[in-house]
Amino acid sequence: MQGLFRWSSKWWPGVIPLVIFWAIAAWTSTEPLEADLAQRSTTALKDTVLDKRRIVVAGRDVTFAADAFSEDGRLSAVASVEAVPGVRLVNDETRLVPEAKPFVWSAERDVVRVTLGGSSPLPSSKAKLIEAARAGLGGVEVADRMNLSRGAPQRFDSAALLLLDQIGKLKDGKITLTDNKVALSGMARELGGREAIAAALKNLPEGFSVAANDVKAPPYIFQAYKDPVAVTLTLTGYVPDNNVHAALVAAAARKFFSEKVVDNLKASVGAPSGFAAAVVPALGALSRLSTGTLVVTDREVKLSGDALYEAAAGQIRAGLGKDFPQGWQFKPEISVKPAAAPVDSTVCQQLFAELLGKARIRFESGKAEIVADSAGLLDRLTETALRCPNANIEVAGHTDTDGEEAANQALSEKRAQAVTDYLVRAGLPASRFMPIGYGSAQPVAGNDSDEGKAQNRRIDFVVRQ
Amino acid sequence: MAYLATFYWGWLLASALLGLAMGWISVVQHGEGVSKITKRWLAALAVVLVAAALSRIVPGRFGYWLDLGLIMFALYLVGCAIGSWLRDWVVSRSAPAP
Repeated sequence: MQGLFRWSSKWWPGVIPLVIFWAIAAWTSTEPLEADLAQRSTTALKDTVLDKRRIVVAGRDVTFAADAFSEDGRLSAVASVEAVPGVRLVNDETRLVPEAKPFVWSAERDVVRVTLGGSSPLPSSKAKLIEAARAGLGGVEVADRMNLSRGAPQRFDSAALLLLDQIGKLKDGKITLTDNKVALSGMARELGGREAIAAALKNLPEGFSVAANDVKAPPYIFQAYKDPVAVTLTLTGYVPDNNVHAALVAAAARKFFSEKVVDNLKASVGAPSGFAAAVVPALGALSRLSTGTLVVTDREVKLSGDALYEAAAGQIRAGLGKDFPQGWQFKPEISVKPAAAPVDSTVCQQLFAELLGKARIRFESGKAEIVADSAGLLDRLTETALRCPNANIEVAGHTDTDGEEAANQALSEKRAQAVTDYLVRAGLPASRFMPIGYGSAQPVAGNDSDEGKAQNRRIDFVVRQ
Repeated sequence: MAYLATFYWGWLLASALLGLAMGWISVVQHGEGVSKITKRWLAALAVVLVAAALSRIVPGRFGYWLDLGLIMFALYLVGCAIGSWLRDWVVSRSAPAP
């Protein structure tokens, strides 16, 4: 032992290469060691739920920062890192995820995207919500602005998932969950969407309630477009039910005698009251225009287009609103089509024959009152009469053979007079027209069938020089 | 410690072998070694360093380097002791009895 002590005084020269070894060992080993420890620490935390995890290793000391979702989770995470072999010290910079009070979560929809905001309790529920939003909204961009917080109400996930389902039914709007109160605002995507959302909210998990539901129904829109080039009338939008649908299409077919009716209407709930009573006269007004668009939005009727002549424009502007049920508004934007070039009497006669070949002026049964459906045809006849200002026109009334000859004669005269009155009201001089009744004396078809009789009940325009 | 031993056994072995060689030489080496007083100071320094390492007051990489140095130094000392003892044993066997 004494010898060992004596020899040890001569051991120092070896320290010089030892120091060199040490320096080389330190130089080469530090970074691999740190990388290895960082990797082992990360592996040790694999199953622990943490947010914002950061592990920095200096030498054998691990600086461990993370947001934990419970105190137990935080302590066990620190213990896991401390237990990693080779770790000397753990600088514990962990903390608990901040508690949100109140706990607010929201989903907001605008034109292009759905934004998820507010707080979410765990990374897993956050991922679940984003996943559900992507899956449920099919193709709409989902922006995630959620942060993680403690303090979520129980059954938060199922409530939030149910609310995410509802955001798909909104065109735009926001759903906010504040603790266990739900607030909704915005506009439903489709008619009936508001009711569907209200029904779905009844399935909210226990403890959750609706504090405010300000979801609005989308406007109830009906549109009709008269296209003079394609000679079509296109109907789009909503109608209350199939009966009204059929009635509107039938009315359109009567009023638009030369246009093909393109029917793209859909039946939907939520129509304003008096819908059919407003739309039918509005279609009548549209039939008087050369080209035009009718837009019915809730209880507002907007009619724009070109009338065939000045008096017609005035009649539509002033007259249509009066036909509407209470509470309906009429916004006319009627201009007048530029007058067509004058033509000579022969052409005028052809034009009259062409128009009256397509449709007949119709009267109330057995009376001399022109039905409203014929306004479009009369306006076209008026426009034609305006084009040949020098022609004198015989307005000839005819009937079928039903009833007494004298009565038919009188009726045909009255009907011819009614048409003449219409033309005069349109601004044409009364002196140009000669209303004449022929009774049933000049049939154009046999009076032995309903069809033939219908053809015989007519008004003809005959140009006299 | 076990982790470090498995991670750097090469360097630790090198330190021990260096110690063995130094111990082997030191038995028959002539000349003065370090004085007793210097030895005490060096021992005191070693104690301080070991204390610092055990108490883990040196942070980060310096702490690691201190640990590494002390372990290498410890193995060096062990090597020296074994080397010296072996050489002494060999010398005493081969030398004629006084």
